[in-house]
Amino acid sequence: MKPSSIFESYAARLRDFIRRHSPADGSVAADEGEFNALALDLFGLHYAHNPAYRALCHARKQLPLDVSNWREIPAVPTVAFKEMEMTVLCPDERTAEFHSSGTTGDEPGRHFHCDASLAIYEASLLPWFQAHVLPETLDGPAGFTFVALTPPPSLAPHSSLAHMFDTVRRRFAAEQSIFTGEPAPEAGWRVNHEETLRRLREAAAHGLPVVLLGTAFNFVHLLDRMTDEGVSLTLPAGSRVMETGGYKGRSRELPRPELHALIAARLGIARDFIVCEYGMSELSSQAYDTVAGIARESQLGARESISKPRSSRGNEAQISGKSEPPHVGCYGSESGSRNFRFPPWARAQIISPETGDEVGDGEAGLVRVLDLANVASAVTLQTEDLAVRRGDGFELLGRSTDAEPRGCSLMSL
Amino acid sequence: MNLPNYFIADLPPEATISAQLVADACQTLKRNRERQLGAYTTPGIVRVLAELGDNWLQPDYPFRQFALARGPAETGFSVATLAAGLDALFGQWSRENLHALLVQELGHVQRLDEPCATPEEQRAGRQSLVTGPEMLAHITAGNLPSPTLFSIALGLLVRSAQFVKCARGASFLPRLFAHSLYELDPRLASCLEIAEWRGGDESLEDALFAEADCVTATGSDETLASIRRRLPARTRFLGYGHRVSFGYVGKELLVGFSAKKAAARAAADVAAWNQLGCLSPHIIYVESGGSVSPELFAELLAAELAKREETEPRGELHIEIAATIRARRDFYEVRAAGVTDTRLWCSENSTAWTVVFEDDPRFQASCLHRFIYVKAVQNLDEVLQGADAVRGRVSTVALAADETRAKEMAIILARWGVTRVCPLGRMQQPPLLWHHDGRPALADLVTWTDWEMG
Repeated sequence: MKPSSIFESYAARLRDFIRRHSPADGSVAADEGEFNALALDLFGLHYAHNPAYRALCHARKQLPLDVSNWREIPAVPTVAFKEMEMTVLCPDERTAEFHSSGTTGDEPGRHFHCDASLAIYEASLLPWFQAHVLPETLDGPAGFTFVALTPPPSLAPHSSLAHMFDTVRRRFAAEQSIFTGEPAPEAGWRVNHEETLRRLREAAAHGLPVVLLGTAFNFVHLLDRMTDEGVSLTLPAGSRVMETGGYKGRSRELPRPELHALIAARLGIARDFIVCEYGMSELSSQAYDTVAGIARESQLGARESISKPRSSRGNEAQISGKSEPPHVGCYGSESGSRNFRFPPWARAQIISPETGDEVGDGEAGLVRVLDLANVASAVTLQTEDLAVRRGDGFELLGRSTDAEPRGCSLMSL
Repeated sequence: MNLPNYFIADLPPEATISAQLVADACQTLKRNRERQLGAYTTPGIVRVLAELGDNWLQPDYPFRQFALARGPAETGFSVATLAAGLDALFGQWSRENLHALLVQELGHVQRLDEPCATPEEQRAGRQSLVTGPEMLAHITAGNLPSPTLFSIALGLLVRSAQFVKCARGASFLPRLFAHSLYELDPRLASCLEIAEWRGGDESLEDALFAEADCVTATGSDETLASIRRRLPARTRFLGYGHRVSFGYVGKELLVGFSAKKAAARAAADVAAWNQLGCLSPHIIYVESGGSVSPELFAELLAAELAKREETEPRGELHIEIAATIRARRDFYEVRAAGVTDTRLWCSENSTAWTVVFEDDPRFQASCLHRFIYVKAVQNLDEVLQGADAVRGRVSTVALAADETRAKEMAIILARWGVTRVCPLGRMQQPPLLWHHDGRPALADLVTWTDWEMG
């Protein structure tokens, strides 16, 4: 980072903000003024030191002097990471680059990092991951075996997800944790099924709870194979899944409720232990849709109950959930119980694609994220994902399958 | 207006359509055809069609009023866009035009009624008559209603029982049209069925295909291939694949007022049916070297689209489509910020219209709904080279050029595979006598019987 002292001072303030607002620390509500000041300062830094971003601001005639509220900061469309070098880093300062997982043949979006920005990335991801996927560890260490279905960072150096999984593994996992994904020339990644099942069985034999991490298509690959071979496991109580969306044509696509029913049926992990993550290579913070085991916790009224072994009857009940219609139970779109939320150092807005304005509660629009941890690129990102605004969170919308395409000349050329 | 439950499309949305229902409906249609259509002569049907077309042009015609009142919610088109589209379609349905169509396609107005002969046939000692299919099934696309309504008219002319399968959410206007026919001539309408289901429902479609002796379909190449595969060998199939269209403005017209006029005409083509038809432009190619540059033309077009939006608004969009437009705009905004040969103009606080200028002759498919590319080119050759990827799939090229050049260009375009060349501003107004995808309209439907009189 060029005038490194300026970024260092911002980074120090941000770390302090993250520390004070981390769930482990009681998660005090963020002070609006402090958040706004950090956001505007980072905007100013990006405007000054990221030439591509500056060009966009000029094209939109939105300059730092005209912006006094974080909501007005010009958002960078994700596509800009493909078309431009959306970074404050000179080529010789870049030590890592994360690529977006576009469909094959596409130029990927590139998000450049240096050691300092990666350190911020990790400082941002760890507390929010812990609060949602491993809430028990807030009270002290717990022995989880991590099985990540992605390749390790050494084999997928441009995957922010592999980097994230490695970061949480280093921080929280027991020694026997492993990556079971492998790069595959055609399909991007494939899961080493034998190795995955061996590790899962081993954990089951030792009664060690497992944290299974992967993308939706990783899980579909694994579960389809298990279905083909007629394999079902009941992973030890307290085992959980962190699943992150996106198929990009790499497997058949399943609606989330179906995927989760399949996870419950084949791995014996109930839906309330399946945590969905929303993140992308262009961001440095992530959103989660639930806290592992929280539904059960509120049902039974005590955190201890999470680790109680479940009866086989309980498992059957979960499996029978397969036939439930979608959008019930934990997917209740009205209850808001499974809405995505970013940490206090990032905020999502849901933007009407028609007007560009923020939509009202319960209305649909495009997800826009202001991420104070995105220090090396752009503070506000405009995604192409549709979601419904629900309170301070959002519910992601799947692709609508009901509408037939209009426009007879709309074809892929 | 309360429409009686007469067609399958009148059933409440929760009603399920079964294969048996489709088969029964086809049987009824055939029976009605047998009983009713024998009494009609071609002049009689032409009279009905011309009267019906004229009715639809009248501002106080209840069906038109209903279409305009409910249409925006049902179809997504604004009142003005719908009205313009209906006028362009029904304005063509005159007796003269229908007669001309019969003569063009069948050589004689009465060819469907009795053996008759052109002077050439007379000399050869021969008379001919033609017969339409007993049962005609139409699988229509969901984008705009005019091709569906025209197909129904053709089916009536050739005395077929007709079953029109509309795409999901696209039966409103065909259904209304069918009711208007029922009001005017219930016997003719008794040979027509309108239904709506999601395309690809094989059990319903197979029931329909089993009854039809001719099937017309509009859709993607995959849809057409799938339908063709499922048809009995003896069934005639007329498939209309997806087509794209574009405009071309010659440099001789890129001066002062002519340039502005050309931009206004291009805007009319973009606005017509919100650009959703195969005949609507994806791109307006503009020749370099005129006194108005291609980039300036793009700006003029943007101004014209803004003006159009005031009188003929685009209407509301499904959020996913709006999101697609927004994402595309974002892409070009980013590109424009980085390079000077890309520019973007668009409506503020809405996705109503977008103009992207690029100095790159490669064909680029638009996301439609009034999203138009303007591309600078040196000449027509450059356009055709850049459009090689869509060669064979181009329907209409609209020209704004002086007459001598236009003729030369029409020849080049025809040899390259374009099936229709028209003036800019008329892309979505094909005349009644046009050759859809380069094919005859009536002649493709009928079977000839030649009587050699010895």
